[in-house]
Amino acid sequence: MREKILEAIDLYYAYGNGKPALDGVTVDICKGEKIAVMGSNGSGKSTFFLNLNGVYTPDKGKIVYREMTVNKKNLNELRKNIGIVFQDPDNQIIASTVLAEVGFGPMNLKLPKDEVLKRVNKAMSYMDISDYKKRPPHYLSGGEKKRVSIADIIAMEPEVIIFDEPEAGLDPFNTLMLEEVLAKLDSEGKTILISTHDVDFAYRWAERILVFCRGKIIADGTPLEIFLNKAVLKQANLKQPTLLEFYELLVEKHILRDEGVYPRSIQEFKRIL
Amino acid sequence: MLTLGKGSDFKHLNTYGSGVKNGHHRIGHKHGEGFSIDFYAYNSKIRYWNSDFKVVFPILILILCIVLDNPYVSTAVIIAMAYITVIKGGLSLHEYLAIMSIPVVFIVISVFAIAFDFSKQPMGQYNLNLGLCYMFTSQANLKKAGYLVLKVFAAVSALQMMTLSTPSSEIISVLRKLHVPKLIIELMNIIYRYIFILTDIFTNMKNSAESRQGYCDFKTSCYTFGNIAGNVLIISLKKANAYYDAMEARCYDGDLVFLQEDKKLDPMLIVSALAFIIALFLILGFTE
Repeated sequence: MREKILEAIDLYYAYGNGKPALDGVTVDICKGEKIAVMGSNGSGKSTFFLNLNGVYTPDKGKIVYREMTVNKKNLNELRKNIGIVFQDPDNQIIASTVLAEVGFGPMNLKLPKDEVLKRVNKAMSYMDISDYKKRPPHYLSGGEKKRVSIADIIAMEPEVIIFDEPEAGLDPFNTLMLEEVLAKLDSEGKTILISTHDVDFAYRWAERILVFCRGKIIADGTPLEIFLNKAVLKQANLKQPTLLEFYELLVEKHILRDEGVYPRSIQEFKRIL
Repeated sequence: MLTLGKGSDFKHLNTYGSGVKNGHHRIGHKHGEGFSIDFYAYNSKIRYWNSDFKVVFPILILILCIVLDNPYVSTAVIIAMAYITVIKGGLSLHEYLAIMSIPVVFIVISVFAIAFDFSKQPMGQYNLNLGLCYMFTSQANLKKAGYLVLKVFAAVSALQMMTLSTPSSEIISVLRKLHVPKLIIELMNIIYRYIFILTDIFTNMKNSAESRQGYCDFKTSCYTFGNIAGNVLIISLKKANAYYDAMEARCYDGDLVFLQEDKKLDPMLIVSALAFIIALFLILGFTE
């Protein structure tokens, strides 16, 4: 059993219109987990993330970070350790140069200037954006802005990083870059949560999937458990990953023997053949 | 509202600028939407100069132009500032002239009012019969107007040297050091960023309206423009919320402080600046 770092206990959250966006969400997150959060638009994923980070205060329920129940006083402790990369970089990028932008978080942590510069340079070389450091965000392309928004969070060195639909609007090259960054972050022992609509990506990458539907978590398990559960898939309007579907089809037609070993990537599939 | 107001100012300025330049080659940036001044500032070769210097020096020169009030001093300033911006800063002469020509209309109109006068009888050194009245002027008046034009252009070119070599974020950080109230500094920062976000949104909406025949005739155009303007307001409010969330998520606690790289002040710059100012005084001494 891995070390539990973040707990959401029975979260309720409603926006102004009274309809609950989160309706009793309870989940434990352990150190180093790779979690994909799935569910249709408006099912509460983004609201859940903003609650986890303490931007929204839940109407009911609580967030526990490393045995510390979050309240107004220790809110910053939570925000410092849980970073969110927002879906639209234009909603996140605030400063007028890349350097100042990446430094915004560390500056807010009230670190000494040398330390801020050190972190910023590290984060910029991590995301390969050191060349743009003096450029203003409005002369960057979409992919470059995304990198900047990720570097923003990396510079704060949080334990848990949340990505809100990171592939939205990225070209294949930048998507590849994103997956490399995710692998690198994982190798450094960071806990990662990603909301995504891409079932193939979730199946390939995640260790655990949370499925949201109308403000509730309707399923929580390994990718295989989730994607073999037709009832859940139907309720959340998800489809099976192509690879899994294909594999099941081959088994059904008796081309492959059913050994219960489901391939997660093309490489694994090759080995079975 | 402040955001929107400032944004439209900026746009106005630039549409004017690009209007002047129509028919000539464009620098590679956003399609048709000319944020030329901002763009030039980021690409200036003297961007690495210490920004405190680049803000204080032009302001000092501006004050000197006004206080010394001498046409030769003004001419020297115009030449020197053009030299700094074009030769040192690497801006093409053509673009520099285009930017400098933006205030021409305002200057011409105001100088006209100073140089010429109207009366019922013919008087003054030169007069022109307009039927109802006479427009007249004198040598002295014309000279005064000419000197004024020089002075205004000198002042404008000094400030243009600043704006064409220093990105807004740096000017704002210098103002912060000069103890301009924090509220104003923060507003300037956010407004500057928002100008680009909102114009982007506006351009997108305008393009999509245009593709649906939203600008087919004058009446429809007015209607579409109104709708878009209303929508931009709503979106700016929404964006403000999203922005605030994103800032809070990164531990924003009410103090907007940005990381700024220190740029070393080259002592040569100060020496040259001092030499230039002394030269201005010498010019004044010899010509008066």
